[in-house]
Amino acid sequence: MLKREFKLVQKVPRTPKSAYDHGRFISSLIEHQLKHFNELEKSLLKAGEKLTDVSKIKTELQASKYLKRMTALLHPQGGEKPKKTIRRKRIRRVPGGEAKGKTARRRRKS
Amino acid sequence: MPPAGLDNLKHIVVLMMENRSFDHMLGGLSLVMANGKKQYPKINGLTGSEANPDMNGTMVKVQPNAKFQGQLDHDPDHHFPGVDLQIFGSTDQGPGRMANMQGFIKSYATQDTSIDESHSIMAYFTPDQLPVLTRLATEYATFNGWFSSIPGPTICNRAFAHYGTSFGNVDMNLFYVQDPIVSIYERMIQGGHTAKIYYYDQQSSTMEIVNLLKNQPKIFGSYSQFTADCEGNTLPDYCFIEPCYNDHPGPGGGQILASDQHPDHNVQEGERLIANTYNAIRTNQELWETTAMLIVYDEHGGIYDHVVPPSLDPNFPDAKTAPADKTGTGVAFNFDRLGIRVPAILVSPYIPRGTVVPGTEDPNGLIFEHACIPGTVTNFFLGNYDNRTAREKNSKNFLTPLTDTLRPDDDCWVFDL
Repeated sequence: MLKREFKLVQKVPRTPKSAYDHGRFISSLIEHQLKHFNELEKSLLKAGEKLTDVSKIKTELQASKYLKRMTALLHPQGGEKPKKTIRRKRIRRVPGGEAKGKTARRRRKS
Repeated sequence: MPPAGLDNLKHIVVLMMENRSFDHMLGGLSLVMANGKKQYPKINGLTGSEANPDMNGTMVKVQPNAKFQGQLDHDPDHHFPGVDLQIFGSTDQGPGRMANMQGFIKSYATQDTSIDESHSIMAYFTPDQLPVLTRLATEYATFNGWFSSIPGPTICNRAFAHYGTSFGNVDMNLFYVQDPIVSIYERMIQGGHTAKIYYYDQQSSTMEIVNLLKNQPKIFGSYSQFTADCEGNTLPDYCFIEPCYNDHPGPGGGQILASDQHPDHNVQEGERLIANTYNAIRTNQELWETTAMLIVYDEHGGIYDHVVPPSLDPNFPDAKTAPADKTGTGVAFNFDRLGIRVPAILVSPYIPRGTVVPGTEDPNGLIFEHACIPGTVTNFFLGNYDNRTAREKNSKNFLTPLTDTLRPDDDCWVFDL
């Protein structure tokens, strides 16, 4: 629960579940991100370890697994729970103050 | 005396999204009418008559038919040669060529698109499709003249946000920091302040990799840590937030959607990220009254915008040149002109509703680019600081919209996610 009420509240639509596709082919941005991490991996390899062939990484799922492994090596804290617990907050609306979708343009007079 | 908005400022937060132009996301605001007049007359958006020729020579106008996903599934070209074509309308590099913003469809046609598909580069969102960005743009300050730093891709543009320069790079290749320039995060820490890059999670990671993640892992945090820091009043003086760059499984079998808005990721998920980040600050009253949040895009993603990017003042150079074999155009680039315009919104309760910072449409307009980020943050927190480019030192202060007047709490919106 919020400690305070809010007068002006804008609803935000949910993203459809169909938007998710971890089999999507990676963009050139992610390709280059992987290449940069691959350069970094060279400097982190221990004796006997084999360098990852990032040219074989084609999908966002595959990329996310490699990025997690590499990022965890350098910043293991990133996989930890945050130090402060987040409580889920419900937005409480003051009656008469809610924005009702795209047609509502209630403006407060200054 | 500085205005109260600056006097009370303790935190600057920057959220940098991906690959969408100003006209694509905010240009539709110029077409909203109320009582027979433009509702947002100061915003330099679209008239509806803007057009580009397609590969048949047919002029194709901008259309309010942008889709959240599935429309730009062939990633538009946003590398240096492609952006050059978009700005100049042809690949001819001869002397006297003029920027005309007529090459967007021709450029998209090089990405394996059909004639009809290539037209979608002219699509824009209507304001009601983007309730979060629209609300923030019309409630706080919109910059008409914020441009990407280079007419090129992500990595070198983001470098300007971290270092004030891309060290002479206009492409996506790995670059190495050159002394004496250090990142804004290192400057802040050396100056006794706090700073962090919050990447979304380990599976998405950061785009600021070799230089910082290897050498300064302590300046990184995750997005969940950002929201915890907001709630716990432990937010650093300066922080930079990266969106989620890929779809991947979440904890406990859930799904984490990419939220960067890079095509072809769903734009709505980026809206939710922006809203959640805003809420994290907004719902902590102490933080809300002492924080300025900048939402900005790294580059235009190859998508249409009508404003010709300006040249830079030659008296304040980046002092770099990208040689001809690195630009892809066969001609060297002297970092003397900016990239294409991007959405940029500054949020603070000290900003009057409907503030618009004029750009090139106004003779007294101000030009902003990503070097303004380390420039403004350095000047605000550290004062005089020498080890940076002349370009960054001369960059504009993006905190100028902050005033003396604190808007009442019930005059500022919250998002219901």
